[in-house]
Amino acid sequence: MNLKFIKTDLILGIRQWLRSPGTVFWTILFPVLLILIFGAIFSSGTDVEFDLIVQDLDDSSTSNEFVGIIDNISGINVINLKADKDVTKYMHDEKKKVALVIPEGFESIIYEYMQSQHNPNSTFDMDNLPFNLKIIVDPTDQTQPSILRSIINSVIQQFNINITGGQNLFGLTEEKSVGEDFEYIDFFVPGMIGFTIMTSMIYGSIERNTKYRKNGILRKLLTMPITRSEWILSKMLFMLFLSFISTFVIIIVGILAWGLNIHFSIFFFILVISTSFMFSGLGMIIGRFVKEEETADMAGGAITFPMMFLSGTFFPLDQMPVFLQNIAQGLPLFYVNEGFRNAMIYSDFSQTVYYTSFVIAFTLVFFIIGVFVTKWKED
Amino acid sequence: MVEKKIQCPNCNQIVISTGNPGDVVSIVCPSCGTKGKFTFKKPDFSEEAAVEVSNLRKVYDDLVAVNDISFSVKKGEVFAFLGPNGAGKTTTVEMIESIRKKTAGEIKILGIDIENSFDLVKEKIGILPQEFHSFEKLTVRETLDYFSQLYKKRADIDGIIDAMDLKVEENKLYKDLSGGLKQRVGVAISLVNDPEIVFLDEPSTGLDPKARREVWEVIEGLRNKGKTIFLTTHYMEEAEYLADHIAIIHKGKIIAEGSLEELIKKYGDESVLRIKNCKTKNTSDILKDYGFNVEREGNGDLSVKINYKERVLEILSILKNECIEYSTIDIRRSNLEEIFLKLTGARLSGSVS
Repeated sequence: MNLKFIKTDLILGIRQWLRSPGTVFWTILFPVLLILIFGAIFSSGTDVEFDLIVQDLDDSSTSNEFVGIIDNISGINVINLKADKDVTKYMHDEKKKVALVIPEGFESIIYEYMQSQHNPNSTFDMDNLPFNLKIIVDPTDQTQPSILRSIINSVIQQFNINITGGQNLFGLTEEKSVGEDFEYIDFFVPGMIGFTIMTSMIYGSIERNTKYRKNGILRKLLTMPITRSEWILSKMLFMLFLSFISTFVIIIVGILAWGLNIHFSIFFFILVISTSFMFSGLGMIIGRFVKEEETADMAGGAITFPMMFLSGTFFPLDQMPVFLQNIAQGLPLFYVNEGFRNAMIYSDFSQTVYYTSFVIAFTLVFFIIGVFVTKWKED
Repeated sequence: MVEKKIQCPNCNQIVISTGNPGDVVSIVCPSCGTKGKFTFKKPDFSEEAAVEVSNLRKVYDDLVAVNDISFSVKKGEVFAFLGPNGAGKTTTVEMIESIRKKTAGEIKILGIDIENSFDLVKEKIGILPQEFHSFEKLTVRETLDYFSQLYKKRADIDGIIDAMDLKVEENKLYKDLSGGLKQRVGVAISLVNDPEIVFLDEPSTGLDPKARREVWEVIEGLRNKGKTIFLTTHYMEEAEYLADHIAIIHKGKIIAEGSLEELIKKYGDESVLRIKNCKTKNTSDILKDYGFNVEREGNGDLSVKINYKERVLEILSILKNECIEYSTIDIRRSNLEEIFLKLTGARLSGSVS
């Protein structure tokens, strides 16, 4: 082995890398972005607090004591909901993932049980036990329900032990906040559609702008009768075609493999079209300012990956620190994901319109700027 | 330079002579000694300009890339814009093609000022940009079809494929072609709208000598079809072989312009014909009697200065008729490399420092 050759080639590699400032920039910036984002998500345990809605229909001293035990557990923030409120609607409106409903009779069942233990003629029917509390979970979230379910179960078991010495006086039943037919995959798919459109549009635009510029195709087109607007429009139609292909592939495979349950509406198509134009515009902007092909790929990655994690694509935003949730409000993919979820899953018209309008606003800004900065002519 | 076979009217001997269009050469039949004159016919150039450039200037911050240049390209001619790398060739041609913004000056294509009317000439020009690389996953035919569909006026694709000798490769993917074939496809793309003017920016750069020669043949074919060719190159052989008109650019300025013969006559040294191992003692005197400027070199070889290349044939006839014995002769004349060196002190093949 000739170490001189290795050294020579190593120096060549470093020299070439150093002479490409864009690559150096993204090579350093990209991991910095990742470590900052994931560090913020996963390492700041004290920042993360799970909200638990509690609707105490019993409103007795015992049920209050039970709620107090849960509220004293570190990391759980109990939100008390009045008895006359609709729990699932409140969860949806306030984007809360877990609720606990304590039914009426919580305290009296304890008294009845205690009496039955001292009165052999008691009519207390042990076969009706356990007396079930109800946990309502949002299936879009895999993490919070499982953590809170586990904690509530522990509290119930402890309560059972204290009162009965081990008999299951209280139990826990579970409901989903959006209806029994939905599964996690139903909520995962909209995020996947948004992410897929985003990556294919951004990378497609960047590749077009950097590769075509490098290969002289943009210069050639500039001297031909086709106008820049015609060319961009034709490329957009092609990208739209790709968007619909990938979207329908995801949906069809989801239906066939996982029994995906979604609704189609005009908003679904508006969102696919608008999202495609929006991220193409963003790709055009990146492609305009990043000249080298390899740097452009890294720039695309540096934009798409953080956006994917910060926009609630694969896991809910409320697991993140508040400042990251605030950042998400400024990211277009967040509105795309929420728009698709409301259009395809919740069928919530007002929320769909709300998020779609943001997507359209982002589209107008990005696409107009993208078209404006996409230059064929050299300085 | 054109090579012509001329038949002696007296003995039917074929005499080969070379010259530029418009040259009148004296010919002596080496067989019977008959003397005559031959005129190399000028191509039918229209005097109407295909491209006119006036006081064109391009400045980048502190760098003057193109410095107030003016020239014109006549219809039907091969115009070579010759200069080393970095001299301003591509910047100039890209300003003419409206790819690059000019700082100042005026550009007319087919009489139309392109400042605000470039769209009017797009259908009439074909362009091969520098370092052009087409779509890798299209075949040659698909590539030509694609580009031709973007014009109103379309040339016959089959005709282009035949003319460019691409029949065998027409169904091959662009990425699978050799460098020479890719350049040929590039030239073919520039013809899909049957343009009047074809701009070829360094069409043979990076090609091996064989592939380069193939590209030259393609360009010659275009000239024969009456196309105006605007060729940028840093290969002096390419300009010498192909061009009717040459403009030499150096550091953004045109330093010489004209036909090859005009440039050599104006800036080059006289050509020298050297007769080696001449065994006939009075050869020098014989040639002097015919009016030649003869010098005897240190090794005994004779050097004959010739202003006009047609005199070479005359010398050969004299050598034959006078039964002069010699081993070999060689002829050396100035070329563009020497002219460039003489004008700039730099070599054409190197980049501008």
